[in-house]
Amino acid sequence: MSPPCVHIVDDDEAIRDALAWMLKSRALNSRSYDSAENFLASWSPEVGGCVVMDMRMSGMTGFDCFEALLDQGSTLPVIFLTGHGDVPLAVATLKKGAFDFFEKPFDDNALVNRIREALAADASRRAADATVDSVRTRLASLTARERQIMELVLAGKFNKVIADELKISMRTVEVHRANLFDKMQVKTAVELANLLKDKT
Amino acid sequence: MWISELWIATMRKSTIASGGFFCWCTIRRMPPLAPLPPTLEQTLSGLQTRRLRWLLAVPKLGIVLLLAALFSLLWLLHYNEIEEERSALIKDVLWLEQNLRFHFDSAEEQLQQLASEIASGHARETQFRVRATHLLKTMPEVSHLFWLDQQQRLVAAEPTANLPDEELSPLGPTATSRGIDTARRFGKPVYGDFFRSSNQQALNELLVPIHSQGQTHGTLIAVFNLEQLLAGQVPWWFTEKYKVDIIDTDDNVLAVKTRIEDTGGQSYEIPLEPPGHGLKLRVTGYRSQENSLQRLLVVAIIVLAIGVFWSLWLVRELMQKRSLAEEALRAEHAFRTSMEDSLTVGMRARDLEGKVIYVNPAFCKMTGFSREELVGQVPPMPYWVPEQIDETFAMHQAVLAGKAPPDGFEMTFRRKDEERFHALVYEAKLIDGHGQHIGWMASVLDITERKHAEDLARQQQEQLQFTARLVTMGEMASTLAHELNQPLAAIASYNSGCLNLLANDNANPSELKPALEKIGLQAQRAGKIIRRVHDFVRKSEPRRAPCDLSEVVEDCLGFIEPEARKRHIRLACQQDSPLPLIPADRLMLEQVLLNLLRNGMEAMNDTVDAHRRLEIAVRLGSNEVSVSVSDQGCGIASDIRDKLFTAFFTTKAEGMGIGLSICRSIVEFHRGRLWAEDNPHSPTGTGTIFTFSLPLTAD
Repeated sequence: MSPPCVHIVDDDEAIRDALAWMLKSRALNSRSYDSAENFLASWSPEVGGCVVMDMRMSGMTGFDCFEALLDQGSTLPVIFLTGHGDVPLAVATLKKGAFDFFEKPFDDNALVNRIREALAADASRRAADATVDSVRTRLASLTARERQIMELVLAGKFNKVIADELKISMRTVEVHRANLFDKMQVKTAVELANLLKDKT
Repeated sequence: MWISELWIATMRKSTIASGGFFCWCTIRRMPPLAPLPPTLEQTLSGLQTRRLRWLLAVPKLGIVLLLAALFSLLWLLHYNEIEEERSALIKDVLWLEQNLRFHFDSAEEQLQQLASEIASGHARETQFRVRATHLLKTMPEVSHLFWLDQQQRLVAAEPTANLPDEELSPLGPTATSRGIDTARRFGKPVYGDFFRSSNQQALNELLVPIHSQGQTHGTLIAVFNLEQLLAGQVPWWFTEKYKVDIIDTDDNVLAVKTRIEDTGGQSYEIPLEPPGHGLKLRVTGYRSQENSLQRLLVVAIIVLAIGVFWSLWLVRELMQKRSLAEEALRAEHAFRTSMEDSLTVGMRARDLEGKVIYVNPAFCKMTGFSREELVGQVPPMPYWVPEQIDETFAMHQAVLAGKAPPDGFEMTFRRKDEERFHALVYEAKLIDGHGQHIGWMASVLDITERKHAEDLARQQQEQLQFTARLVTMGEMASTLAHELNQPLAAIASYNSGCLNLLANDNANPSELKPALEKIGLQAQRAGKIIRRVHDFVRKSEPRRAPCDLSEVVEDCLGFIEPEARKRHIRLACQQDSPLPLIPADRLMLEQVLLNLLRNGMEAMNDTVDAHRRLEIAVRLGSNEVSVSVSDQGCGIASDIRDKLFTAFFTTKAEGMGIGLSICRSIVEFHRGRLWAEDNPHSPTGTGTIFTFSLPLTAD
């Protein structure tokens, strides 16, 4: 996994350069993009880290770029830099899931702290995403009957009730249930429920 | 001849005596632009009318009196002549009568002597005949002599017993016998009544009684022929002058002696005594020869009088014409005076040497000097400003040389109280009644008030422009703040980075250096923005100095770039190069261009992003440079295009409508033009091009 990287998106070269210089002084890697379009072009789900983006740019604005990222399923934390008077727009982005916004001129160290938090959040999310991937793999390994029984288990029904509903023997239910728990790598129904509640 | 002399003399006397005629002539000859003092003028006009009437009456009266005197004189002469004629006539008549009487008396005496001789018996028939013949010879008027006895029988008769052509005996007519009786009774000679012979000869008888010792012995009768009497007794010279006739009581002519039949002169009658019996001697004068000469004289006088009247009438007509002309002149003068008095424009006339010959009341009021103080003045004039005397005198000389600006020129004058005022002066040639150029007429307007008003308006305009710039900046504040934030944010970031490095203790100065340099650059960038804003809103007098249009464009682009970025508008700029410096106020041009650019951006609010393009073009022409701003926005409806540049017209919800009107006034201040047209190259089909052009030189 590549080291965490801060993606700086701003059409003002001075800002990009200064931010990069400052982040470097705090031992943070950064990559600069002079427009939102360029950033979107180089984006892929594997790209990690966080985005520091100017709200007002020629061409695509920061807000549009953010929406495009969301559309493409990006989970990158985005910190907006705004000028005076853009606060309402910034609040709207927060509601949409932006990580934070800073009004120019900003306290650089506070920004760096938030960047670090964003990077941490991204890292943990990526870790969590890895868990989700395994649960999905486990779910995919279930047979149709096992999935059927799992949904009934999750609905809190006892084996006897399940056997009656499926018109199979209670023994068969127990076998399927044991296989199911094995495949899902859980020991109890509660554990199963927690696993699926978090990740689906 | 003498009449005309007299007429002229009368005229001269009357005009000199009145003095009015000369006075009037003097007024007529006065220059048309020299008004009289009103009081004198009025007096003169009244006086003139009276004088003129009087003048016309005097010669008429004189002529009438003269003619009356002339006719009186003629009449008197005529009268005297008649009187003289009459007295001469009377004298002559009396003389003639006396002559005739003497003749009768002489005849009477001779007959009496004969009678006494007969009575004494000394005379017989033969002696009677001798004596009678002698008597008849000496007295041709006695035609017959008869001797009658006591019984009235004819004793003797000479030459015949009968009267000529008539068998008329002495006893025939009863008159004779009655006369014989009377003579016998009185015993002295008696004349009988006249009678006519058969050939109509008037005859008269003298009857002389023959008596002695109280006894009457007969009668001697002498028959007088009256015609013969006059023929014999009236001398020839008398008949040259008069017609003499003897008439009876009924004016029947009995005898006449004349050389010319028709007389017409005066006549005189005197009783012919003897023989009496109502006989009268009448003498009539011939019409005198002098009469025709006199008549000629009268005719001449009348003709001359008519001539005099005619000439008087001509003179009267002439004077009436002059009077009418004078009346018209006076009316014209009064009209002109009231016109001059009502004028608020000062009028001043100078002759060719520059001497003031006329000022109107408005000019006097304007300068504070009276008419008397100004008329007759030569340069330097009292209303000239001492500190500008050289310029004023130069302009004065230019005017006299005919080089005054035809559109008038401005000048500072001073009032009597030393106050200065600005005047606008128009000079024109002063032409007299003969078409001669005799000087210069100036109309002078006091434009001090106007100048103040203009100054005030200009100040207000400047204030408005200034306010508009503030408003523009206010509207752009957000963009400008963002623009200013960029370098500040960069500076802050560099700064933080440097501090972070320094905090590590092992900081390498060479690492810090590029950051610090970049900080300086960013500070300059921020400073530039602030300077631009400051320049834009600073309050300054409009000043046309050499100005580089490309700098104006650059500054404006600097202003609007952030906003254009925000609005996703691409800016394009095309400039001809090199651009010359033009005389203009840079700040004002920036204001115009910025306004047009911002309008263009706002017009493209509804344009799709792909077509949001704002283009600035600076084109250099032969004598002007034009700057156009083309947008691809909503365009301008043709019906509101005319109102675009009027103040307080706006299509924006929050606009005040002063931007374009200020732009136009600024462009016009630079003697340029500002207009709007459709953008034919717009891919959206709509769009507007605003263009302003400026002259390359400040003419």
